[in-house]
Amino acid sequence: MTRMYHRLPVDAYTSQDWFDREQRQIFSRTWRYAGLAEDVPEPGHFISVQAGLNNIFIVMGRDHRLRAFHNICRHRGTQLIRAVGKTQKALTCPYHDWTYDLEGNLISVPDEAKEYPDGIDKSCLGLKPASVDIWRGMLFVHPDPNPPSLVAWFGDIDPLLGPHKPEELVEYPDARRSYEIKANWKIVVENYIDVYHLSHLHSNTLHMYDHARAEYGWQGPHYHFWEPPASDYATELEKNLPTPRVIPEPHIGAWVPMLFPGIGLGAGEDSWNIFILTPLGPELTRVENRTKLANASGWEFQKQEWSSWSFWKDFGGPKYPDGDATGEDDPMASGDFTAEDIYACEQQQKSLTSPYFEVGPAANGESPVVRHQQAILDFFATQQAGT
Amino acid sequence: MTPNFFSLNVAEIRPEIKGKATSVIFDLPVDLAETFCWQAGQHVTLRFHLNNTEQRRSYTISNSPGAPLRITVKRVAGGLVSNHIGDHLKSGDTVDVMPPFGQFSLTPDPLKRRTHYFFGAGSGITPLFAMINAVLKEEPHSVAHLIYGNADGESIIFAEELHKLASDHATRFTLRHVLSAPSLWSWTSSWRKGRVDAGATKVVVTETPPLAQDVQYWICGPGAMNTDVSNALMALDVPANRIHMESFGGATVTASTVTGIAANAQVELGGATYEVPVAADQTLLNAILSAGLRPPFSCQSGVCGACKARLTKGQVYMHARMALEDSDVTRGDILSCQSVATSDELSISFDN
Repeated sequence: MTRMYHRLPVDAYTSQDWFDREQRQIFSRTWRYAGLAEDVPEPGHFISVQAGLNNIFIVMGRDHRLRAFHNICRHRGTQLIRAVGKTQKALTCPYHDWTYDLEGNLISVPDEAKEYPDGIDKSCLGLKPASVDIWRGMLFVHPDPNPPSLVAWFGDIDPLLGPHKPEELVEYPDARRSYEIKANWKIVVENYIDVYHLSHLHSNTLHMYDHARAEYGWQGPHYHFWEPPASDYATELEKNLPTPRVIPEPHIGAWVPMLFPGIGLGAGEDSWNIFILTPLGPELTRVENRTKLANASGWEFQKQEWSSWSFWKDFGGPKYPDGDATGEDDPMASGDFTAEDIYACEQQQKSLTSPYFEVGPAANGESPVVRHQQAILDFFATQQAGT
Repeated sequence: MTPNFFSLNVAEIRPEIKGKATSVIFDLPVDLAETFCWQAGQHVTLRFHLNNTEQRRSYTISNSPGAPLRITVKRVAGGLVSNHIGDHLKSGDTVDVMPPFGQFSLTPDPLKRRTHYFFGAGSGITPLFAMINAVLKEEPHSVAHLIYGNADGESIIFAEELHKLASDHATRFTLRHVLSAPSLWSWTSSWRKGRVDAGATKVVVTETPPLAQDVQYWICGPGAMNTDVSNALMALDVPANRIHMESFGGATVTASTVTGIAANAQVELGGATYEVPVAADQTLLNAILSAGLRPPFSCQSGVCGACKARLTKGQVYMHARMALEDSDVTRGDILSCQSVATSDELSISFDN
């Protein structure tokens, strides 16, 4: 009998088959996060991004419109496309210098007459188009040139994501990091959306927010979550915020949605953060974090740091006091909620291969975990219906 | 498209920009609502009998679909029809009006997320105004930018309405006035002095780059402005299929040296086929009218697209083809009012 972990078989978290299927049917068929809009700031700038099985190339034209193509030279398939020239009007593959215009048309093949004496129909050898759009200051790509609209995909969840305008904020480069968690991507998602664990695993790290008053739910496959500041933090909130506000008063609280698939956001009164998951293998997931803060002067940041100092100086700490820690590097003694989460995910992944693993009943605060598993099944079902 | 006229009652006449233009609102009986259903940017043809001759003019509908059927007519110096409308037309009058048509139209889609740039001058605002309203109302995730050229603040049609749209939709609509001869004492603040030209076009794209990446460009002004703006866009590598254009006011005089040859044309019209002789340098439309047939037509200057037909055999030369996109021409669409024969056997059809 198949061992189950709520709605999904345990296999879904450990097997290469499930990983391959998700890559094919989820990560290669949805809008994927590709970066922040400022990653392609000027005409001629370009990036390429892996989105499921597809590598997609984004370039800005001189009309400031982004174009997206499959990063596959139509000659031998090399993933080498780059924009060149003073005016950046051409895309080229350096392998044999095949050159395309910004609409993807193949415009030149070196030594054409000599190398292709029977002729070559350049009109059939344009770069394959993909799609790109900007939403909430983030770049999204889709492998299909005529994809389902981003409005149809994110339209219903959009009003529940907070009043932030990420395009007006400034990235804080020190907070940018990328790390790997030795766990299936769904384990990481489930940890992100598990409301029950907030007061327990993070009992001494995230208690400036009032988890008991959290409001959360779903719009299609996308999860939304909001919680207000806890009363001691809220009493003098404007004084206690560590950095200047990024949303106008009277908006308060933390918005921590998880968009499908694996696109986490975390936005509060004074910052906007992304938490992007990329499955690397059945038991390995990459996390990319980036943070944006208020577009304010160094002086304003300094003032806010001073005013909030008295709140933060004694705030938080390890989950377990010294006596209960297993050693200096015990994540439970780190006082860092990310270290706590990574530890929980990796330790959970380890037991999934044990023949003795048997999942216990899901708590109320874990209903999002079960609902996310259902979202995976539902997405497969619509994919199957559509093909 | 039915070439029939319907008598409509004038519900209201409203002078604009101190009487230099006139808005006419028509009553639309319920049974004509479907016939007169329009897309933002389309126009209607009006027929008047003035000085014992029939006069036809095309005017853009200056309201978005769903709002009352309204046209806004700028007076042309010495213009027979525009001054008749401004001086004599009153509410309660009836006017012969042909149902809306035209290819310069924007169909809003609530699921689309687009950036629309509108470039206009003078009365070219009329289709753009309808389009902007349609976008703001029916395409909630899209953004619109208007760059609007006029001589001075006094001559801006819909100045107040546009101002209100800009403040009601501050995050989705930007308004830039370009004035060629701004008065020192005017309250209107212009974004730029001069004309809507290549320079202005480049600055607009840099100042307000597209967020939504499905970008469309709508251009409606005098011929020279249209040429300047579309050339500037093409120079920035904007693909031609994203540029939509209609010529308005101060129509370009096309100095064409191409002359046609005499030909025989097979004309499909209203389900029947006719043999029509075409004289050298006679337009197909004139040849067909001379043969006693009644094909659809309106502006006779290549702007409105009413006389569009499909060429299935032979070749023609078009003096002007503002109303057609390149893709239409590739398909074989021609404007019969602008076409002269360049091969002696032609087949054309008005029926598809």
